[in-house]
Amino acid sequence: MTFTIAVHSAKGGTGKTSIAVNLAAAYALDGMKVCLLDMDMRGPSLCTYFKPDPDSVSFWVNDLLSGKRGINEIIYDVSGELKIRGKLSVGYSNPDINEIRELASKDRKWQSNALKNIIIGKKELIRNETDVIIFDTGPGVEYESINAVAASDIVLIMKNSTRSCFECTEQLYNGVYKCLNKRCVIVNNMHHCSLDGKIAEQENSEIPVLATIPCMCNIATRHDEILALSDQEHEFSRAIYAIKQKLECFH
Amino acid sequence: MNMYVKQRIKTKGNIMLENEILEEILYNLREINDKLDKLLLKKDEDPLLNKKVKPDDSLDVMMLLSLPDHLRTTATTLFEIGPATAEDIAELTRKERAVESNYLNQLVRMEHVEKYRSGRKVYFHISSKIC
Repeated sequence: MTFTIAVHSAKGGTGKTSIAVNLAAAYALDGMKVCLLDMDMRGPSLCTYFKPDPDSVSFWVNDLLSGKRGINEIIYDVSGELKIRGKLSVGYSNPDINEIRELASKDRKWQSNALKNIIIGKKELIRNETDVIIFDTGPGVEYESINAVAASDIVLIMKNSTRSCFECTEQLYNGVYKCLNKRCVIVNNMHHCSLDGKIAEQENSEIPVLATIPCMCNIATRHDEILALSDQEHEFSRAIYAIKQKLECFH
Repeated sequence: MNMYVKQRIKTKGNIMLENEILEEILYNLREINDKLDKLLLKKDEDPLLNKKVKPDDSLDVMMLLSLPDHLRTTATTLFEIGPATAEDIAELTRKERAVESNYLNQLVRMEHVEKYRSGRKVYFHISSKIC
């Protein structure tokens, strides 16, 4: 049974891409068939992580959303390069600024069709016996991100310790996730222990917290590594495995 | 000329002036009326002017969020499974078929959803105007 996760947050810079990439790698490391899609169309970042050869990427997630290409034409197998037991395929969002600008001008009809095309793509991945689909989304109420949330089974909400992030997450929970009947879990990222008391007061008891990852400088300095693969004993990697294990209860 | 006679002549002059003004207003009103009649006739003949302007009724994810809860669940389910009967939707939403049929027909009236007959079954799908 395919399980679809949307990694989303109210604010930018909460570590969505980092968690999405490492979680995808952790699933693939476990022998699963995983598809990671960059739905952060306004600020694409999977190309920065996986550094695909520009000549090898002919089609993008943009082509899936516009209905020009099917899901199987826009995903690229990276398992060989990463030397993992399972299979990890990645769909990149086009980082070309002209493409990003064009996308920003799309109307509601286009976005409505984009949601249909995501669902068609998801059904195709289910037919291909993909175990896990992960949508790495952009922050806030962006069309592409909310489309991805709508097409997911669970929303992994990334949160940092700021008051504004807490308030915006509450708004998103009540105004989007709940309305779409989505199951939600929280990952507190870049957490500061000194804020523990204040954070506890803020927590929404309706949403389970899967993990609290402390703020670690060496994650920032090792940003071009997939720690879940390169350093499995790292505190961050262990948190990723724990998230993966806890998510299994929701499959 | 005494004051009384002077007053009579002045009043008579004012009454004459008022009559002229009223006549002119009446003439202008008739002109406007004629022009409006011509415009109305032209509108009836012109299919472009006759066309009803519809608001953008695309059922996108933001529109889904603004629907009332009961219709949102029905519309979201229809988005997920594609063309379906009221019975298919009711099976997933765990509501009565008649209830879902009512909701689907409400979405049809809102022009978010279209329906078609295939054999003895009536299928609903997200409006094809947006395809």
